[in-house]
Amino acid sequence: MKIRILAWITFLALLRNRLIILFFAVFVCVLLFMMSPMLIARSMTADNPEQGQGMEIMLISAVMSLVSGFGSLLAAWSAADAVASEMKTGTILAVLARPVRRWEFLLSKYCGVLMLMAVYVLFMFAISNLLALIGGARLVNNPWVLFVYPMVRYGIYAALAIWLVTLMHPIFAFAIVMIAGVAANLVAPSSTGAAFLPPWLHSGLFYLLPSMSLLSETNFLAITSASLEQTPWTQHLTALVYGLDQSLVCLLLAAWTFRRRGLTRE
Amino acid sequence: MTAAIEFGGVTKVYKRIFSEERVEALTDISFTVSAGEVCGFLGPNGAGKTTSIAILMGFLFPDSGAVRVLDFPPGDIRAKAQIGFLPENFAFYRFLTGPQLLSLHLRLSGRSIPDPAALIAGLLAQVNLAGYESLRIARYSRGMVQRLGIAQSLIGDPQLVVFDEPTSGLDPAGRKEVLDLVHSLKEAGKTVFLSSHILPEVEQICDRVVIINRGRLVRAGRLDEILHTGARVEIAVDQLSEEAERAALEHGAQIDRGPHGIRLLVDAARKRELIETLWAAGCDVVRLNPVKDTLEEVFLNLVGGAR
Repeated sequence: MKIRILAWITFLALLRNRLIILFFAVFVCVLLFMMSPMLIARSMTADNPEQGQGMEIMLISAVMSLVSGFGSLLAAWSAADAVASEMKTGTILAVLARPVRRWEFLLSKYCGVLMLMAVYVLFMFAISNLLALIGGARLVNNPWVLFVYPMVRYGIYAALAIWLVTLMHPIFAFAIVMIAGVAANLVAPSSTGAAFLPPWLHSGLFYLLPSMSLLSETNFLAITSASLEQTPWTQHLTALVYGLDQSLVCLLLAAWTFRRRGLTRE
Repeated sequence: MTAAIEFGGVTKVYKRIFSEERVEALTDISFTVSAGEVCGFLGPNGAGKTTSIAILMGFLFPDSGAVRVLDFPPGDIRAKAQIGFLPENFAFYRFLTGPQLLSLHLRLSGRSIPDPAALIAGLLAQVNLAGYESLRIARYSRGMVQRLGIAQSLIGDPQLVVFDEPTSGLDPAGRKEVLDLVHSLKEAGKTVFLSSHILPEVEQICDRVVIINRGRLVRAGRLDEILHTGARVEIAVDQLSEEAERAALEHGAQIDRGPHGIRLLVDAARKRELIETLWAAGCDVVRLNPVKDTLEEVFLNLVGGAR
């Protein structure tokens, strides 16, 4: 009950956050800007539907990657700000003077951020379909994959940011989450970006950092029914449990470090 | 009488990470506030009042010593369910309206009542915020925010009310309303722990005071014990000849010639001696009153020299 109320308040506060509004505005502008190449590609490949579909997949994948990247930034920043702004303004004192446990407060912040990210993912889903429609194609995929995978991924970013913000300034927390996200992609088996690292460090980072490529919904994105890969449910389950486990560990660490944290300026 | 608040040898040191710098905010602070008492928590700026209140509420942790609040450790949700708290600079979600904020705090307090809307309306009326129900808190004045803060501290029907500077930002009428409110809380058997700089107000409403300075306890006790009633007397006379004035000074009296007449302040033990001398010198005594030290005088005596 208390977690639900505070999560809803967090969600409402995030929707009014000026930085997040600015973030959304920039993002919508970029998306609108990217519709132009989509329309150009469609008119240029009107005589060759197969070539057209190839370009569609490429462009939609690019947009999805962009949207996904924006989402990661949004999840990490919202989570860090949701906790830090309460401490900075002092609203946390009135809330934690109530019979609310500290871990309940953190969990409510996390749930509030996930509510914001759910809105974002639905928006992302609508944009993907709109782009496919403009390109003259129809996305063939399970809607739940396009919803659940990004949510789990953003859940990791948010949980990591919440843990870090219990230890440091939100800007540092945000930066570390971003660095961890980039590093996780560099040490993924499909990437050669971190080949210079010694094998022990490479594999160590791979196991430690959350694998975002494993949790990418673009793995399952297809434009036509023919190219849709059938994925066994066990594979989905493994990937999602992996992601949820990462989030849970970060949240438990956050609850532990926040347990004895001073809430007033020392 | 059971203790509502117990501080036993509390020490708090602020340390900077990667630095040797240490600030001892509280040193061996011990005091007790009994249930049903109104206790004033006094001290100059930087004395450690806000740190003590933060420890009491479980926002900070002492380095040594023990604190109990309503027989629970600070921060325990069983204690917090019975506490109403007004922070020094009360801040809240500015996009909510007053009733929405009170509703949020009512639900967080876990208090279950049949008609929450009536309770909220009643509290808003009590703090003179009726008529502003649809106004967002972002548009409230400083005084309105303070009034709303007081209302939120009372929404859970607390047994212990902790007020950090409750009259800050309020006009004289608002301050009087807060004093009346504290009186009514006392009559209802609640314990009130309040920090304030306005000593005449504290003197009016408190049963007990705790005075700290530079993180150390200077004085704690019942107000009537602290204010030394009857240690000195005030003698008002119609006139004071040179001879009588000399005699009064010899008796250690303080002479005050004000617009309302001549007053002599003297130790109670020497009053008879002085009065006889004044009579002998032809002065008429028109009034004789015991002098009660004000809290402000006691406070300045205790803290002023140490600052």
